[in-house]
Amino acid sequence: MRRIWLVAQREYLENVRTKSFWIGIFLLPVILVLSIVVPVLMEKTRKPRHFAVLDRSGWVLDAVRPQLAQAAGRFVLEAPEADPNDPAAEERLNRMVRDEELFGYFIVGSDPVEGSAGSQYLSRNLTDTDLTDWFGELVSGEVRARRLERERIDPRLAEWIQSPIRFEARKVTVTGEAEEVSAQDRLRQWAPVGFVYLLFFVVFTAAQMLVTNTVEEKSNRIIEVLLSSVSPIELMGGKILGIAMTGFTTIVAWIASFLLITRYVPPMLGAPMTLDFSVITRDPVYLTSFVAYFILGYLLFAALLVGIGAVCNTLREAQNLMGPITILLIIPLFAMVPVGKDPNGMLAKVLSFIPPFTPFVMMNRAAGPPALWEYVATTALLLVSILVALWAAAKVFRIGVLLTGKPPKMSEILRWIRAPVGTVAVRRD
Amino acid sequence: MADHALTLERVTKSFGDFRAVDEISLAVPKGSIYGFLGPNGAGKTTTLRMVMSILYPDSGTIEVLGHQNPEAVKDRLGYLPEEKGLYKKMKTAEIVSYFGRLKGLSNHEANRRARDLLTKFGLGDWIDKKCEALSKGMGQKVQILGTLIHEPELVILDEPFSGLDPVNVETVIELILHMKREGRTVIFSTHVMEQAEKLCDYILLINKGKKILDGPLSQVKLGGPRTVIIDYDGDGAVFRSLPRVSRINDAGKTAELTLQDGANPQELLRLLVDRLTIRRFDTREPSLHEIFVRAVGGKTDA
Repeated sequence: MRRIWLVAQREYLENVRTKSFWIGIFLLPVILVLSIVVPVLMEKTRKPRHFAVLDRSGWVLDAVRPQLAQAAGRFVLEAPEADPNDPAAEERLNRMVRDEELFGYFIVGSDPVEGSAGSQYLSRNLTDTDLTDWFGELVSGEVRARRLERERIDPRLAEWIQSPIRFEARKVTVTGEAEEVSAQDRLRQWAPVGFVYLLFFVVFTAAQMLVTNTVEEKSNRIIEVLLSSVSPIELMGGKILGIAMTGFTTIVAWIASFLLITRYVPPMLGAPMTLDFSVITRDPVYLTSFVAYFILGYLLFAALLVGIGAVCNTLREAQNLMGPITILLIIPLFAMVPVGKDPNGMLAKVLSFIPPFTPFVMMNRAAGPPALWEYVATTALLLVSILVALWAAAKVFRIGVLLTGKPPKMSEILRWIRAPVGTVAVRRD
Repeated sequence: MADHALTLERVTKSFGDFRAVDEISLAVPKGSIYGFLGPNGAGKTTTLRMVMSILYPDSGTIEVLGHQNPEAVKDRLGYLPEEKGLYKKMKTAEIVSYFGRLKGLSNHEANRRARDLLTKFGLGDWIDKKCEALSKGMGQKVQILGTLIHEPELVILDEPFSGLDPVNVETVIELILHMKREGRTVIFSTHVMEQAEKLCDYILLINKGKKILDGPLSQVKLGGPRTVIIDYDGDGAVFRSLPRVSRINDAGKTAELTLQDGANPQELLRLLVDRLTIRRFDTREPSLHEIFVRAVGGKTDA
């Protein structure tokens, strides 16, 4: 155990000293801060949109004028002197739009109460609809008021007629009671997705490290010195543990920075704090199952990867063998949306029982949640396959690490796994 | 067997159909320098790997430092494998200390000894340098220090001289003698007979997995044929007419004659004096090289 710990320690220090580790640690917080700060800054630094109005109705512009003054920071009315019915005015405004003196201009039809006939919006940029949305709403409000007035309809009556029926969403809990849906429930619905991505990330980076470090030890021939001091099993265990520690360091750093950033950065910019994570930390079962699946998922893939690392002598060979593993990792990512939508559906249930997918899919289904027997059965199956994988990896590792030359064929590896320890015939160089 | 650091009893190891080690038996006395000699592929590395319990024998027993199970004494052994390597990104002191900690030293003790050893053997300036910056000879030295840090009772060096220039060969020889002076048992393998001849108290000759002969170097030499070295001027063809000469190695100005048992060097000299100008006439014990070539040649012919 002490030797496993020593190997793990060395492995951890070696990985932590690489640049890519630190890039990985800082990448997420940097992206997160940028994704909060940049939109706010863009909003704050955006130049006001200048626009003009040719009001052919004669009353609309005057009616909305008080609201225009309120929006002066964002939208600025220009060229009030233009004669709405003069064709030359349109040409002049067109030129101003072309020269970017104006973002766009509106022509209000002669009788907007009657309908939209003759109303136009002209701009070079039709994808940015902020201006039309805002102005359209102002004008529509005024027009609607006039229509109600003309038909002698009480505005309150109109509002009541138009009001739709809304269905209040309530969630049926495990205990069979109905409760209100809050923002926390939505978080609960989406947190599993975050966890699936985290697990994917950890397994994927661990894959790189496990394979490259083992291959490095083999090609550097350090492996034999190590084997004179530690047993292959200790070496393998130390590697798996050391790389797990590296991965978890990254994850802890990410979760901490995620919590800190979402808590403190928006208020600094004057935005309200919107997310409350206490729902996750308040529910120990929920959190524990994530941690457990995390560890189990990592162990299963680590066993497969360490076996691959042991039989390869170059990174190129290792990359070829890692192809199937990558596919195993990507399938649960593809299945994430369908499983998330129907957490207790056929697809979700079937995938839960395939060990390499179990941790991903069960986390994904957490909002469902799956029945207790499913938790027990899938986890048992996963545990058994982890033990089998570790046992097989240990045997492959023990033989493979001393092997030079071209990597063994699948049939040869299977023979190693089947044969009792110590009796396997190893090829010579 | 308290006086033996290592004994092998009819140890056999096969890889598939290939018999790498075939019923090897030997005993390494404590405190000696013991040489495993043989050509490439003779089974030296496989034997050493079995002693280190990296491989396991198919049959036969291995007793290391009095234990039948070599794993029990792993921490009292030092091992330098044939293929040498270091972690490129680790500093020299770190890696030497790491090897020490793997063998059971405390952090503090391992760090202290690593720095002491590196300083003592002229690598003081390299303590904080990464291994990738070392030359091959320095790397080898760092590795050997890594096998010594935990003060092992038995040190096993597989081809410690391979790929080294003469200066570094001297350094490694110095290290081996240093270990002997401290009372450690050293086993090393080599296919270069000259080094074994200079260093070894005992040798094992091995070829194609089989033991050819073993024992104290002085006895092995007595058992071999005697040779005569002659520096001369004249026609070397005369050597072929001499009686009781089994092998002639004539280089034109110097000839090495291997004598059959019972041959008298005095008589040879008398026969040669009239026909050649003799500048040197030197009878001596056979070199290990000759013993080896003869033993291996004899076996293969048989």
